[in-house]
Amino acid sequence: MSGRPYAVPVPKGYRIGPWEVREPLASGAFATVYDATRAVDDGELPRRAALKFLATGTRTPRQLHHLRDLAEREVQLLRRLRSPRLIRMYDTLAVDDPDHPELDGATVLVLERAEGSLDAVLARTPSPDAGPALLAQICEGLHQLHHAGWVHGDLKPANVLLMADGSARLADFNLAAEMEGTHAYAPAFATPDYTPPELLWPEVDERGARIRPSADVWAFGVLAHVVLTGEFPLPGGTSEARSDAATRYARGREELRLSPGLPDGWREIISDCLARTHEERTGRTAGTASLLRRVERVAGTSPAARLPRLRPYRLRRAARVGALAAVALAAATASTMYAAREDDEPTYGYHRCPVASVCFFSEPNGGGDMCSWDRNDADWLSGSDTCMWTRDGPVKSIFNNSSDDSTGLGAVAYFRGRDFTPVGEDVTRENSRNRTGCTSQRNQGNLAGTYAPLSHKWIARC
Amino acid sequence: MYSVIVVPPSCGSVADQLRISAGESIEFGRTEPSGGGLAIAHAGVPRVAGEIAAHRTFWLLSNLSEDQTYVVENPEGAGEHIKVAPGRVEAPVPFELARVTLPAAGDLLSFDVWAPRHAFRSVERRGLEGAGTVPAFALDRTKRYFAVLAALCERRLRGEPRAPLPAVEEIVERLRPSWPKVSRSAVYWNIDYLAVKLRLRPGPDTAEPGRRTHGKKESLASLALRFDLVREDDLVVLAPASSGAAR
Repeated sequence: MSGRPYAVPVPKGYRIGPWEVREPLASGAFATVYDATRAVDDGELPRRAALKFLATGTRTPRQLHHLRDLAEREVQLLRRLRSPRLIRMYDTLAVDDPDHPELDGATVLVLERAEGSLDAVLARTPSPDAGPALLAQICEGLHQLHHAGWVHGDLKPANVLLMADGSARLADFNLAAEMEGTHAYAPAFATPDYTPPELLWPEVDERGARIRPSADVWAFGVLAHVVLTGEFPLPGGTSEARSDAATRYARGREELRLSPGLPDGWREIISDCLARTHEERTGRTAGTASLLRRVERVAGTSPAARLPRLRPYRLRRAARVGALAAVALAAATASTMYAAREDDEPTYGYHRCPVASVCFFSEPNGGGDMCSWDRNDADWLSGSDTCMWTRDGPVKSIFNNSSDDSTGLGAVAYFRGRDFTPVGEDVTRENSRNRTGCTSQRNQGNLAGTYAPLSHKWIARC
Repeated sequence: MYSVIVVPPSCGSVADQLRISAGESIEFGRTEPSGGGLAIAHAGVPRVAGEIAAHRTFWLLSNLSEDQTYVVENPEGAGEHIKVAPGRVEAPVPFELARVTLPAAGDLLSFDVWAPRHAFRSVERRGLEGAGTVPAFALDRTKRYFAVLAALCERRLRGEPRAPLPAVEEIVERLRPSWPKVSRSAVYWNIDYLAVKLRLRPGPDTAEPGRRTHGKKESLASLALRFDLVREDDLVVLAPASSGAAR
């Protein structure tokens, strides 16, 4: 074997904290995962865990600061999100061992021990019987991530872990990115076979390539096809050839020819996930929540518990008062819980806003309750679409997620009165237009003061 | 991303470049082909002289002339070249940067073809099966563009993270010991190629010619340093810093 067999070689029997390192489980491009047993019994943690070593030390031969960025992404995500379909992190440790310079400074993630990866299962049994049920669980995990405002960025069979009870969990969040408004910045790595065409050769700026949840939706479509048929959806013998086929398909040169062996019902789901562009994919899958319902229906699994409406600010307050209260609340309402443990950074919720819509939020940064419209509404409190929370509370943030230029109506104007009429402060306001406000196409932001609109309409420009 | 970029002779701006993606092809000849293509206005060039087709990461050259052999050389390859005989169709060209030379009535005419999708992967075995996660950028450390990038980032890599970027003249001086024929335009050319290769999002200042290169240099250096595309170890591609260069 040429070169080093593992990204981070750790001798067997090595002690770190209460853990003793056993056999290597897997090794990726940036990290190596080892089986570990607990040498010191503290009664809280399980006896076995998986230790993920990331070579982040300053004295490692490769002084790679982007590795620290990748480690940081995973730690941030696992600290802040905890849900049944994501692998759990018990602890993080740093190696302090000058005698092992290649290890000194490495970041160690103490993770829940899984039985194996979906990749290993597929290598043994292509298109396993449990495939549809596993896909429903994978989709659920993806939904939990997206719901919390993150993009996985590297969904593939090797990053889906199977637990002793046969259930699936998502793992490996080194490429995960938190949404900042409509997109996130992904580090410049990818697995080409699971990368959507628009990100195969993405434009980049100093922060990297922009990635959106639709990238995970494409990866899910590829993964579903691989799990159900044992073949990639795009033709080609190598991943370069398949990437090329993906590019030709995205440019409209080729049609998608899915395997005739796909079980009933999956063809439509996979074609929608593999829609050519981000816009088309978002439109056809309508977010991972609705994708999940469809996957569960066709997989014949019982629907996952509906996620609670994400209210980052309220959850944070609960977390500050006491984590126990949050646990009880979440356990009572759903099987899923998000523990928001970091209080210093704002959480953005704009990504929940459907395309071609305008969304109003009860909290800043797209947080809290959301009401969305794709048309005009002359009265928010009655009629077919209502937005009842605005009766008692003001709008704190807004996102105009319209991208269609064909109608010529890209901006949204909102008014305190019904039927687009100015009322109260609108009239006395020192502007000539007598309205509460106006937001241009693709703009988002927080509203200062008390904005309490009752109607809105699409207009050409603000 | 475009697989292949054809740079016409005396190409003044990016707008004149012809870009094709995998599976597409363009013709070249004396007059511009009807479907668009490359015109080489010279009486000695056949009306339809040849065709360039992009395929995956490389490209294919068809010589449609009656009796002239075309030469495709690697300008950085110390004479490395291939000959494409008249009538030969779809000869694969393996070079990332290539110069196509056509003999025409005693003159030699040439144009450049770039294949920026040429990829380089680590050959290190990791003991793991399955689809690997790969870096999005693949630079050839033996190419001159890499030396230009190293020279651009040298000060910041040597422990002065906020050092100003070197001017193009300084880069030329820094590269001269290992690359005697280097010129300002060669450095500009490589900076332009790097921006294509790394798929740099065009900055807002592209309209201003004076600031254009500076903005591009700044973006390239930030990107390269952020993603460790050049590291301190890579500075060996530059000649050892003389006391003059260090001053």
